[in-house]
Parts: sequence; structure tokens; C-alpha cells
Amino acid sequence: MDFDFSEDQDQLRDAVRKWVDKGYSFDRRRETTRAGGFSRAAYTELAELGLCGLYIAPEHDGMGMGPVEGMVVMEELGRGIVLEPLAHSLIASGVLGGYAPAELQAAWLPRIASGEALVVLAHQERAARYRLDVCKAKATQTPAGWTLDATKSIVPAGDQADAFLVPALVGERMALFLVAREAAGVSTRGYGTQDGARAAEVTLQQAPAELITLDGLTALEHAVDIGIAATCAEAVGVMDKTLSLTTEYMNTRKQFGVVISSFQALRHRAADMKMQLELARSMSYYASLKLNAPAPERRAAMARAKYQLGNSMRFIGQQAVQLHGGIGVTDEYIVSHYFKKLTQLELTFGDTLHHLGEVSERMQDTAGVFA
Amino acid sequence: MDLAFTTEEQQFREDIRAWVRDQLPADISHKVHNALRLTRDDMQHWAKILGKKGWLGHAWPKEFGGPGWNSIQKHLFEEECALAGAPRVVPFGPVMVAPVIMAFGNAEQQQRFLPGIASGDVWWSQGYSEPGSGSDLASLKTRAERRGDKFIVNGQKTWTTLGQYGEWIFCLVRTSSEGKPQTGISFLLIDMKSPGVTVRPIVLLDGEAEVNEVWFDNVEVPAENLVGEENKGWHYAKHLLAHERTNIADVNRAKRELERLKRIARAEGVYDDTRFRDEIAKLEVDVVALEMLALRVLAAETSGKQSLDIAGLLKIRGSEIQQRYSELMMLAAGPYALPLIREAMEAGWQGDAVGAAWCAPLASTYFNMRKTTIYGGSNEVQRNIVSQVVLG
Repeated sequence: MDFDFSEDQDQLRDAVRKWVDKGYSFDRRRETTRAGGFSRAAYTELAELGLCGLYIAPEHDGMGMGPVEGMVVMEELGRGIVLEPLAHSLIASGVLGGYAPAELQAAWLPRIASGEALVVLAHQERAARYRLDVCKAKATQTPAGWTLDATKSIVPAGDQADAFLVPALVGERMALFLVAREAAGVSTRGYGTQDGARAAEVTLQQAPAELITLDGLTALEHAVDIGIAATCAEAVGVMDKTLSLTTEYMNTRKQFGVVISSFQALRHRAADMKMQLELARSMSYYASLKLNAPAPERRAAMARAKYQLGNSMRFIGQQAVQLHGGIGVTDEYIVSHYFKKLTQLELTFGDTLHHLGEVSERMQDTAGVFA
Repeated sequence: MDLAFTTEEQQFREDIRAWVRDQLPADISHKVHNALRLTRDDMQHWAKILGKKGWLGHAWPKEFGGPGWNSIQKHLFEEECALAGAPRVVPFGPVMVAPVIMAFGNAEQQQRFLPGIASGDVWWSQGYSEPGSGSDLASLKTRAERRGDKFIVNGQKTWTTLGQYGEWIFCLVRTSSEGKPQTGISFLLIDMKSPGVTVRPIVLLDGEAEVNEVWFDNVEVPAENLVGEENKGWHYAKHLLAHERTNIADVNRAKRELERLKRIARAEGVYDDTRFRDEIAKLEVDVVALEMLALRVLAAETSGKQSLDIAGLLKIRGSEIQQRYSELMMLAAGPYALPLIREAMEAGWQGDAVGAAWCAPLASTYFNMRKTTIYGGSNEVQRNIVSQVVLG
């Protein structure tokens, strides 16, 4: 039982924080959103810090690190509401490294680590909501290899990414494929998202694909769980900063001749925000520390974590805006962007009601962290 | 970072589990698991079993005869006791006054009082709250006047938990009215058999007399019973509060009671009702999050590497959870929680239950649990404290 970070982990945190503070200003972010919501230059800077190869083994030029390092990095990116989807690089690394044939790993992992290739998960379909076992995409085996027919939604940086991880049915069974964006039969329709980032509808028509695994659901569940742990950590960073923005504001804003942090109704709200933040941080630790557990235990843990995080995100986001008053609902001031990021993260990889259902279904007779 | 307990910690847990299984009387754990009434003798019986092993003061350092466990070991011990259905140790002696005597009492006081606390022979009570001093404890008025080698104590304490069994009581008393209210308070140990001490039970909303009023009418207390220095009692009391930070969240009991809630919900046919089951699922996550929060505090205390400002959150969250599980158990029984049959809350009652045996104490427990967000510094006061951490 130990919740201390190692020296290496502290150094990693410092390096990412420094980049966010010095290299990822609110102005730069705003510019990126105006320009479409994704900056390849910023993504390349993340790669130069080694972050894109965090989960990639050293033989494929990665850092060979684990979930705790992933958590540390995502917290810091959350603090700066960074738009570039590093969580998906972690997903792609974990899924390719864990399930893909050796030659596919060798072809893609070094390029992901270097930042040359951005590979994102493209699993969302209209009929599925948050269910992972609902899939209409179809895979066909031809003499020349696999081809896919699919429509996938809200794929992060979908018209900028270099390849997609795509679940599709082989007969009745879900398999997981890799599709290059430049391949024939791939079309994308990009758009901005509510948090200022970018996503796309991705349509595949007999698009050539590489098979990652025929056990697609297992791999997809794992992919989403890596995503949930990363999202939880990112959310902790966003909430931490949201709370400190709010308390700073409360200690400077004066009404009725006094700083508004002197009003007990508001002080208690800040205390409740702190409560939600620390519950969330605790459950983010829980998610990352369970990420390498056997699948049933891992899935149950992610549902519990995302449920807590969802509640915390909604509360802290809404209250931060409320406590800022009028300035909180402007686009100019930074807090509304933190609120929108929290909203986006709540609806990513399963929202709070969805995960409540997951917790409810998986409930055992026993209770607690170790049950 | 590691969520797993070490091999040594696991072994420690196994050893504790085996010992508790062997030593905890079955009739007592049956009462605890079913929320039936515990008598003074039940509580004393278990306290003395622990005392004989040297574990009643399980958090005590070795120099005072404790086992010298670290925070993780203490937690594992408390968890194994709670899950096995051991009664909560009545904290006033071993958890509350003993650390103050160790830290601020003189050698004579330590030799005189600590053995009786460690063995479970002497029942201690707490004299803090007064009718006019609840959350604002420093406004207390019970006076102690120094006359030669004695203090003369006059005043009234209230909410004295289980004070009807008390043999000694530690009190915060006013010895000076100069300066800030906090600076005129002293910490006094009083023999409850002294002439002028009167104890009157207060019947609470669940019909039980769990707390008492204690009157002091010209009670003579030898000056040697003053702990530390005169007028420094507030400082000592704060030290005491720091000693029960994680304890008060009672996460181990919450786990046990959540399991009981699931059994009751199943038996009452609401476990598979989505609307009800989701409420249990929410509580399930609340309990995991509380446990993670508590483990973070314990691990930080053990490693000493980081200081966490989150201990104050544990009381708020822990008490809310205690209320919620008692509430859901009552709701699970529905109308069968309503009959008030006091005998049905006694172990071994042979009468006809209305509904089922487990229904009888559920509403009473729910009513009783309203205290948890009020005592130990109300949750609103706790939020004031947390807000100081966040806002300054």
C-alpha cells in the first residue's frame, strides 16, 4: 500500500507541467481552436517529450512505462486543457502492443512513439451509444486482404490522424483492425467539438485494413479502459485547476465591500468542490492502479471510477461557473473552457448514468476497494 | 504507487483475522451483524479480551504498552475487527484520553490511569459539550476554581455518550475568563463517584438512552488530576481530535453494513429492482471512494513523504455514508420497518416478528444515525475547516 510517486514520476510530472506552463498558453490553445481544434505542431512537441511513446516498449523506441506514469502525464495535460488527444496515443500503443501481430507492431509503434503517426480509436457508432458490443461495421476477407465498410462517429482529430483502430464484424464476431487514413475508400468529415478540439465522421467503403485481432471485443474493452483511466486522470488535472481558478477568483472579487470568499454559503460550496476533487483523485488512482488487473476486475474498477469522476466533473464544472458569476459564462474568461472540457470528458468513454448501470450490473455480495 | 498490501501486511492481516475469529464471542458478533442491542457487559467483555492481548490500546506506542503498529497495521486491525462483527471499541479511554495523558500527563498520571484504560477495567466518559456549547465548544462554562490542592467544579456537561456506565470522565473546564475563550480552558480528570456528580440519561429519538447529562455541583477534584498546565486544555483537546481523523470515517463498518444492506435488499425482493439497485450501486462507489481516500491518508502517514490536507473530508463523507446505508436498509424493508417492537431488537427474542426478524431495528438505526453529521464537530463546522484549507 503506497500512494507516493517515485522520483522519476515526479520528474516526468515536472517536465510535462513545464511544457504546459511555458509552451501551451491559453492564447495558443485559442488559436488552435480557431484553426480547427488540432495542432500537429503541439502534438509533435508532446512526442518530443517522449509522451507519445509512454506505453510503447523500448524495442519499438518507446519509454516502456505504465499506468501510473500515464496518469501523471494526463493530469498535467488536463491542467492545461490540452486539445491534442494523447489519450488515444496511449490507447493505440496499448492495443497494438498487446494484441497486434509482430509485423504490425514493428510498422506502427516506432512511428507512434516518434509522433510521426497519430493513431486514434474509431469505434463510436450511432446505434451503440456507450455500448461496446454494438457494431454494424463489416469486415470482408478478400484475396488481397481485409476490407472494411463502416461509419464511425466523433473520432478525435479524425481528419488529421494517420490511422484508425476500427472494430468491425467478421461474420457475427467483432474483430479489430487498423486502417490508414490515406487508404482508398476512406473519407472523413471534420468538425469542432464543444471543448474546442476536433473530431470527424469517418466513412470506410471497402477500405483496405490490417487485422489486429479477431478477438475484437476483448481488445476494444481494453482500449476503452485505457481511455477511461487516462480520461479520469486528465479530468483530475482539469478539476484541480478549475478549483484553484475558482478559489483565486473568490479571494479577489469584491461585492458588498468584501471579498466573496468571506461568505459562508460560498465557502461551503468551495469545500464541497474540494470534496468532489479528492474523491475523484482517489478514484483516478484506483483506475490507474487497476488498469493491469484481469479483465473482469479491471472493467468493474473502470466503471466505478468513471461514475465517480463523472459526478465530480459535473459538480465542479457547474459550481466553478456559478461561483465566478457573470464572468463565468463568458467565452473570454478561461473558466468556461475548463467547464466545457469537463463536460466533454464526462460524455467520453461512457457517461455517468451508463457507468452507474455497469456498476449496478457487476455488483457482488462483498464491498470495498478489494472486493 | 501500489494498491496491493505487501506480503508482510497480508500476513499481519491473516494473523489478526485468525485471532479475532478465535476470540470474538459468537453471541456478540451475532448482535453486531444484526444491529441488535449491545449491553454494557457485551462491550466490556470484548474490551477486556482485547485488553488482555494488549490490543485495546491498539494505536498506542510501545513505550506505553501498545503494539507500536504503523497506520496501515492499525487500519488492518480495525478492518478485521469490524468485518468480523466486533463491537466498536468505546473510544473515550483508549482512543481519546489516553493519548492526551501520554503526551501531556505527568509520569504519575500515566502510571495511575493508563493501565486501567489498557485493560478495559475502567470505563471512561467524555465531558466536552454543554447545553450552551455544541459546535462552539470553546464557549464552555463549566467552572473549576482552584482552592488549595483542589479544584471545585460546578456546571453541566451534556451528550455524554454511555456516561451512565462511566467511572471516570475527562472534562474541559473553564479556569479563567481572561483573554480569548480558548485560553482559559483546562483538562481535568474527574472520578464520577465523587460527591456532587449526577448523571441523567437522555432518551434519544430512537427510544434509547445512549447519551447523558452530567451535573457537577461543588465537586472536589484533587489538583493532581489536572493534565498538563492550567489554561492549556484547549491545546490538548485539539491534539486529541487529531488522533481520530481516519477513525471517525468508519470505512470498515461501512463495508460491513453495505454487505448487510445487500442481504436485506435481496431478502426484501428489491435487489433486482433497477431503481433500488442503482441506489445501492451509488453507495457502492461512495464506499470505494471513501476507502481510497482513507487509504491515501493512511499511506501518507506511514511513508511520511507527503502531507495531505484531506483528513477533514473523511468525517464529512464517512458520516454521510453511514446515514445513507441506514436509510437504504430501512427503505428496503418498506412498511415493515415501521412497527416499533423493542423486544425484537434484543438477541434471542422468541416472539413473532412482523415481516422478518431483520426488519425490527432498521428504522431505529436510521434515526440513531442522524447523530453522525452532528457530533464530533458538525459537518457544517467541518466544511468551515475544509474551506480554510482551500480558501485560506
